[in-house]
Amino acid sequence: MAEVLVRTASAPLPRRSRFLGRVLRQPLGLVAFTVLVLLVLLVVFGPAFLSHSPTRTNPLQTLQPPSAEHWLGTDELGRDVFARIVHGGRVSLSVGLFSMLVGLFIGVAVGGSAGYFGGRTENVLMRVVDTFMAIPTFFLILVIVTSFGNHPVTIVFTVGLGFWAQMARSVHAEFKRFKTAEFVEASRALGSHHLRLMVRHILPQVMPQAIVLATLGVGWSILTEAGLSYLGLGIQPPLASWGNMLQNAQAYLFRAPVLAVWPGLFIAITVLAFNVLGNALRDVLDPRG
Amino acid sequence: MKVRGTLFRALVALLFALGAAVATAQDADTSAVLNLATNADPTLNPWTPGAVIESNLINTILFEQLTRYSPEDLTPSPMLATSWQAEEGGLAWVFELRQGVVWSDGDPFDAADVAFTFNDVVLNPDLGAQSASQFSAIDRVEVIDDHTVRFVLNEPFSALPYYLASFAGIIPVHVLGEAENPLQVASFNKGIPVTTGPYKVAEFVPGSFVRLVPNELYWAGEPKLAGMVFRIIPDLNTQVAEAMAGQLDVVTRLSPQNVRGIESTGALEVLRQSQNLFFFVAPNHDDERLADVRVRQAMTMAIDREAMIQAILDGYGEVASGPVAPMLGALFNGDVRQYPYDPEAAAALLDEAGWTVGPDGVRQKDGQRLSFYMPTGQFGDLVPATLLVQQYWQDVGIETDVQVMEWNAYIQDVVLGRNYEVTLAWWSMPPTADVAPYFSCDAAQTGNNIPNYCNEDLDRIMDEGRAALTLEEQADAYGRMQELLAEELAYIYLWWPDILTAKSVRLQGFPEITASAAFQHSFDWYVTAR
Amino acid sequence: MTQYLVRRLGQGLVVLFLVSLLTFFLINLAPGGPSSLVDISTTVAERNARYALYGLDRPVHERYVAWLGGAVTGDLGTSINQGLPVSRLLMQRLGATVVLALTALVLAAGFGVLLGIVAAMNPNRWPDHVVSTVATLGMSVPNFWLGIIAIIVFAVELRWLPASGIVSIGRGADLIDRLRHLVLPASVLAFGLMPNVVRVTRSAVLETKATDYVRTARSKGLPDGKVMRKHMLRNALVPITAMIGLITTVLFSGSVVIESVFGYAGIGRLAIEAANGRDYPVILGVTMLAGTVVVVVNLVVDMLYAVIDPRIRHG
Repeated sequence: MAEVLVRTASAPLPRRSRFLGRVLRQPLGLVAFTVLVLLVLLVVFGPAFLSHSPTRTNPLQTLQPPSAEHWLGTDELGRDVFARIVHGGRVSLSVGLFSMLVGLFIGVAVGGSAGYFGGRTENVLMRVVDTFMAIPTFFLILVIVTSFGNHPVTIVFTVGLGFWAQMARSVHAEFKRFKTAEFVEASRALGSHHLRLMVRHILPQVMPQAIVLATLGVGWSILTEAGLSYLGLGIQPPLASWGNMLQNAQAYLFRAPVLAVWPGLFIAITVLAFNVLGNALRDVLDPRG
Repeated sequence: MKVRGTLFRALVALLFALGAAVATAQDADTSAVLNLATNADPTLNPWTPGAVIESNLINTILFEQLTRYSPEDLTPSPMLATSWQAEEGGLAWVFELRQGVVWSDGDPFDAADVAFTFNDVVLNPDLGAQSASQFSAIDRVEVIDDHTVRFVLNEPFSALPYYLASFAGIIPVHVLGEAENPLQVASFNKGIPVTTGPYKVAEFVPGSFVRLVPNELYWAGEPKLAGMVFRIIPDLNTQVAEAMAGQLDVVTRLSPQNVRGIESTGALEVLRQSQNLFFFVAPNHDDERLADVRVRQAMTMAIDREAMIQAILDGYGEVASGPVAPMLGALFNGDVRQYPYDPEAAAALLDEAGWTVGPDGVRQKDGQRLSFYMPTGQFGDLVPATLLVQQYWQDVGIETDVQVMEWNAYIQDVVLGRNYEVTLAWWSMPPTADVAPYFSCDAAQTGNNIPNYCNEDLDRIMDEGRAALTLEEQADAYGRMQELLAEELAYIYLWWPDILTAKSVRLQGFPEITASAAFQHSFDWYVTAR
Repeated sequence: MTQYLVRRLGQGLVVLFLVSLLTFFLINLAPGGPSSLVDISTTVAERNARYALYGLDRPVHERYVAWLGGAVTGDLGTSINQGLPVSRLLMQRLGATVVLALTALVLAAGFGVLLGIVAAMNPNRWPDHVVSTVATLGMSVPNFWLGIIAIIVFAVELRWLPASGIVSIGRGADLIDRLRHLVLPASVLAFGLMPNVVRVTRSAVLETKATDYVRTARSKGLPDGKVMRKHMLRNALVPITAMIGLITTVLFSGSVVIESVFGYAGIGRLAIEAANGRDYPVILGVTMLAGTVVVVVNLVVDMLYAVIDPRIRHG
């Protein structure tokens, strides 16, 4: 699971509507966006149309191959795999999205403040960022989950915590640059106070950059949750997530390897889509790469 | 004439045995090194706290015990002790020790080692020795002479020889006697210990492997393998992969799902062994809803245990009627109340007990709901089994709130803290019917009696069993105990699983009955030439 | 320069101190205790006796101060579950992880730079798209899943490579044997790291391609290859160096899971075992070690920045 590096853009940014339009005009961007929309539709509305429960066990019907009754067959406890993929998708996507939001929010708040205020604030805040970056992400997550348990909300916060320091670093550099930009000076001369300057003037300029990082961050979060579940530390049953489906499939690797295929495939496709979309966004911002 | 006939038959038998011995000796590949696996760095000391699954089997090879299990019927047979006898009244046992046993460093083994092991280590409450609570009936060990010891007991303990055969290796006083904490000597536990077994440690590379070589001072002679290597492979799937790639000769604790894959290699075979081990759902008897035996009986009938065995264990198991497994032969009583899968009967019984189905599908009575907190630990089959039980109970109107906890947290909170209403787990016991540590009133609350079950009638029967010195008396007492336990359902018994061990087809002399018996006879192992 | 170094080292020490504080208090919040002291058959009395032996019945802050006192003099304590000194455990395992990480780094950097150049020399044409997709795939596939598949294919089915471990028994000095054990885990790790190297190289090369002096050089008729070597690569070194710094951090994280999958006795596996087994001294030791490595590497990378591009001033 790779970390994310972002090159800072140096040009002022296109307006939002043209922005999205340009992303969608790239073939890869369009494909990625479509895939994601379909996935979201599936996991949001799918459960209403499912005929099987994702948690209903049936010990007499374990490891069945795909059939009209069970589109993707049944798993080791006789549960419908397709239903679990759909419900698991809900959980994995939510964890991915909310973790990213946690990381985004904290990262922007801390990085922005550090970059904008400078001086001692910057020093202290950036030391905190350094501390978090000094502990390798997975170690940090491992320690936190072991300490605080594996409630889904904890998982979301923990994965977000693995992500915010990176965001903070980037945002810090950006805020620092824009602090001295002309339009900001002008606003300050007119008497705007700090928060207003930060939120209304600088933030919109930094946002697209942050959005790129965030999009890539969702993919990273989903992979991290999967990794945690593989180690038995992530989302726990009876709640299904793609990650813990992979973990269940582990015990059956030599007996029914197909159990590992579906969740792994869905994870890969989803994360790939987010990453391709993120790359497309980044290309729009900075065509030279 | 009869005598001559007998003599003749004896001579023929002897010739056969000799012939077989010669044949096997010729068959044996004396340069063979056996490859086994363990899932973590072992601790080479049978009594150090935490030396469990990853260390048990290798410690069995290294540290001989007073007694060991016979490979035919698991009765105690001589190892470091050659004979034993209970004194009148059963409050003391005298053990004669084997002559000519020498530690791997040349020092002679004698009674002082036995006395040290028990008096200074096992019975010392400050050291927290592993499984020490199983020996609480022992007051002290007296040295009569260099080769005789006397176990003085607090109360009758007829299963003493059985427990002495269960991971109870003797440790050397001349090496560990002076140590501040004899259970935490790193150079011993994680290095090259001093041992009495047929193989000794030559090399211990942490994180990688432990290499054993033959102990040329072993009392029975020269073992038949050139050595053994225990590779440290934490991931069970990787162990299976290595076995299938031809790199491992023995895989213990094989999970049922991997049997077909292992057997398909043709070079390995899977042994179905047994152990005195039962899976259960523990009802917390402190909860008044569960104190009603009809509720427990209904909960048992609501579960299709056969189907669960099929689904989770691939059929490698048997529905349990009680804690004592059939492998105990004469001491097993299968003629007890059974609870075949019958959800209608379960529902009827619950209705009879006053628990009627409420509007939300959950049974209720006098304002209480039949809804239970069911924590489970992440270990082996506990989680899938718990989920299946949850489904079965839901179908008869019993609701459970399943919480999956990390193993460490589970032990602290649920096992030690008794913070649960129902929970699914297992007990592994020595092959004796003496299950007092898990059922007696003494062991409730802070001991191993997790359900906090307390029944004085049961305690009385178990005391009879402990005091009974003949097999008939024991079978009688323990037979009644099993009847009572089946009626009472102190635990909701689930199944006795088969213990699956994969071994190379060329490995011979490997007792098939249980893994611990097999490893206690490692001297007899040999590998046939290709 | 010396002043800068001293200041950075000082900051590094502060960071390390904070890391130790954070980790210590966090892990002591975790329910459960050291796995070697408590298992399913332990009684309450046994648990209490064993805890007392290890001083685990003392209050948290007292234990932290005791640990800190030892740590500053170099004594990281003894592992509760393994009975060995923590520093010895770390040294044993670190070597293995470093070898794995370096191999993965070399593979990722080598292939990554190569692919990045290929992409940059053919921007927006099909080689670029192919490289981009492969690279993105590397960031998208769960690496443990890939690892398991790799074991099944290469070790079980084809039997080309070993499924686990660092070295075969009794062949400690055999380099080929060690390399064979490294191939799968290092490749799986590298596959996940490569995308970033590719991207950074590509953009760096593209950027320098557009600079004036390169255009001038090309217009003068110098062949691309020569221009490439002379100017583009040197300028690409800045972001690539940054990449290397980042990757080091990543390697510790990535190795955690990979070492589990491949039964590779490195720091990553030690971390998981220690965390699951609540082996407090080891958890602290590993975190401190990882933190130190990261701080040092960041410092080195920043120094390299200064050497490569004097325009970057240190504030």
